[in-house]
Amino acid sequence: MLSANHLDSMFPFHFTVDGEMRIVSAGSALRRICPNVTDGAEFSRCFTFLRFGMLPTETFDGQYILKQRSTLFIFAATCSALVLRMQVLVLENPTRYCFIGSPWVRTPAEMRALNIVLNDFALHDATVDLLQLVQSTDRAIEDARRLTSKFEVQRNDLEQLIDTANAPIVGVDAAGCVLVWNQSMARITGIEKHDALKTHFASKHVSEACAQSVESMIASAVRGELTPVLEFELNTKCGDRRLVICSVSPRHDAAGGVVGAILVGQDITELGEYRSTLEQRVEQRTAQLSQANAELSRAMRSKDDFLSAMSHELRTPLTAVIGLSELLVEGVYGPLGTGQTKPIATIAESGQHLLSLINDLLDVAKIGAGKVELNWGDAEVREVCDASLRLVAQMAQKKHQVLSTRLDAAAPSIRVDERRLKQILVNLLSNAVKFTPDSGSITLETHADMDAGTLTFAVHDTGIGIADEDITRLFTPFTQLDSRLARQYAGTGLGLTLVMLLTEQHGGHVSVTSQVGKGSTFSAVLPWHPTAPRASSPASDEARADVKGATPPALSDTGPVIINADDSESCRMTIGDFLRGHGYRVVDAHNGAEAIAAVFEHHPVLVLMDLQMPQMDGLSAIRLLRSNAVSADLPLIALTSRRLADDRAQCLAAGADEFMSKPVNLPQLLATIGRLTGANSA
Amino acid sequence: MYGLVNKAIEDLVTIKFGADKWDAIKRKAGIEVDSFISNDAYPDCITYGLVEAATEVLQLPASTILYAFGEFWVLHTAKKGYGDMLSAAGRDMPEFLDYLPQFHTRVALLFPHLKPPRFECSDRRSNQITMHYFSERKGLSVFVEGLLNGVAKLYETPALVEQTRFKEKGDDHDEFLVRWGDALP
Ligand code: HEM
Repeated sequence: MLSANHLDSMFPFHFTVDGEMRIVSAGSALRRICPNVTDGAEFSRCFTFLRFGMLPTETFDGQYILKQRSTLFIFAATCSALVLRMQVLVLENPTRYCFIGSPWVRTPAEMRALNIVLNDFALHDATVDLLQLVQSTDRAIEDARRLTSKFEVQRNDLEQLIDTANAPIVGVDAAGCVLVWNQSMARITGIEKHDALKTHFASKHVSEACAQSVESMIASAVRGELTPVLEFELNTKCGDRRLVICSVSPRHDAAGGVVGAILVGQDITELGEYRSTLEQRVEQRTAQLSQANAELSRAMRSKDDFLSAMSHELRTPLTAVIGLSELLVEGVYGPLGTGQTKPIATIAESGQHLLSLINDLLDVAKIGAGKVELNWGDAEVREVCDASLRLVAQMAQKKHQVLSTRLDAAAPSIRVDERRLKQILVNLLSNAVKFTPDSGSITLETHADMDAGTLTFAVHDTGIGIADEDITRLFTPFTQLDSRLARQYAGTGLGLTLVMLLTEQHGGHVSVTSQVGKGSTFSAVLPWHPTAPRASSPASDEARADVKGATPPALSDTGPVIINADDSESCRMTIGDFLRGHGYRVVDAHNGAEAIAAVFEHHPVLVLMDLQMPQMDGLSAIRLLRSNAVSADLPLIALTSRRLADDRAQCLAAGADEFMSKPVNLPQLLATIGRLTGANSA
Repeated sequence: MYGLVNKAIEDLVTIKFGADKWDAIKRKAGIEVDSFISNDAYPDCITYGLVEAATEVLQLPASTILYAFGEFWVLHTAKKGYGDMLSAAGRDMPEFLDYLPQFHTRVALLFPHLKPPRFECSDRRSNQITMHYFSERKGLSVFVEGLLNGVAKLYETPALVEQTRFKEKGDDHDEFLVRWGDALP
């Protein structure tokens, strides 16, 4: 059994009463706090029994205590605010009721008020620790309150920020229903926040076309996936659409779990409009450009047309001038009076010169415009050189110049456009002839360079030579030619430019060396690889060679019939007179229809058909003639003043046997007629 | 140490020097914690870092800060935060000092990660007491001096706190002689 001392140290607030309900002992702490608790004092004077929920009729006595011994007894001290929570221990012999427990205190302040200190409690008493626990819990609650108010401020700031941000912001839960709808959203859509809340964002506020993609964007944000920026249309209250660009990011709860998505965007409707205006403008500009392009190509076409028209216009009268003056010189119109031959010859010569100028001009323009396509083939160097020389022979002869060739045997042939190479050589040769004084000499030399893979055609002359500073300017296009140069070397400007252009088009280059007073060498260096020599030679050159020195025949109204169809009187006259002079009977026609009629009427051996004629043009006439059995094989030469590459092909396709451009080289025409009719001309 | 200690430093600085200084100290110490939670345990380095940063920002020696912090703890934080738990620990200063050895034992019940100091009393006389302080931590003896002076102020008892043994000088532990009343020199 506990001694009084032990009891006191273990239960400093205990007290014991006897059967008469008188205090028989009390703990030291209790005695100190309640001085009226003394041995022998009546229980009811010291304490009030707090009977919670008990019947008021019952009296607090030994019997009651025994009956309620298993319950907690609560006593209030009469001399202070002290409340004791006690358990009864019933002792027998003598009967004693020992109440053990401690004061009920909820705060340190209450303790202070009761004048109790921590040390008053028994060490085992948890009251002290519970008090501490309550304090620390209070502390935690205070922390929470402090943090809450702090976060509240932050949240208000944030909410205000979100609400007033100049960007549409929408927050949705995991199901995609609106939780956040800021003012900017309300402004853009015209839908107020309270109307938007809890509605399904994608299906209610996004245009039908975009709803699906917005929905899946939100879904992937909710899955925590990274989502790209999305452009979509928002429905507005008034039925409009607003274009927005939005980033979608996951909404997290405090634990870091994703609970929805936040969409932050920008209204780019104006931008979109601006963009489409821009697109429209680009479209417009493109349309304008393509129209300009179309106009340009029309212009190009009309330039071509202009060129061919011009050449036609220029050449037609020129043909007459040259042809008629040649016929005069040849005595076709009867013998000329003394002193007349020379001026008329000069007229012919000037005409020829003018003609070659026109030809050159046309060629230069066409090459410059990239209009000339080379007609590649294997050419025999000797033949080309001889033919070229023949063309200048007459001129050289007049000046008593010596023409000679020195051809490299290593290069019998070359792959070129033969006609163009001839043009190059003739240009160089005729320049040489022009600028070499009487009795000078001109040499055409070829030199093959196996290593470089080139064949050089060099024309040496013993002419006046060209100063160094002028050489560099010699080949510049005619528009830039120094007028002094142009005057000095009249007529060469275009020729050399043409030579240069043609040579370059062959993939070669032109060079010139010169010494003033001694002479010059003009070279065209062309790419070259040895090729097999060709067997045949062009008939025209042979023909021309044949024609040389032919005696002018008399006019004829008999002989094989040739239909000469041309709407130009001067052309008809020139060719007609020339052919009559060579024994043909020439029947004129003014258009295609007349020509066909003439064919059936006169049974000609050959038809000369100009292409551009009124009513029925040459091509149509040719086609008609070819479609008829009578005239299917009738030799037919097409003539045109236009120099379009197409013409030749078109004519041949339509059924012409030959194609010649006007002004017609009359001897060549004669030779061709001879060849086609199988007759010996002249 | 538990958050309430760091929070106490925050309160001390904000009340005595202003919130700007506290922000500066926190920045200086490189602490990202926005607000310390009283009942959460934080690494000791945070508390030491705060004190060190405070010496620089406030241009005060560490001893001044720790002493002030000791006083502040008793007079402000513990008193305010724990109701009158300190006052409830004793009706007067001697009674309180008697109870001190028990104090952190009970505190440790509340804070499972507490590494509490240990106090022991000896040579208890009517007007003086010798207080022995044992700790795993270093350099806090000035803090204890501040604490004990704070206690004297709390009970409005003029007292003299004198450190008589120094752990940093090789003694086994720190020891303080607290005298009051007649024992005052
Ligand atoms: C309600 C009153 C008090 C509470 C709730 C309390 C609580 C604490 C807490 C939580 C720590 C930190 C220890 C840790 O986190 O590991 C601590 C440390 C400390 N306490 Fe108290 N304390 C109180 C009163 C006192 C008093 C009155 C003193 C001394 C007079 C004191 C002296 C110390 C000392 C010196 C430390 C530093 C830790 C060390 O030295 O290792 N404390 N206290």
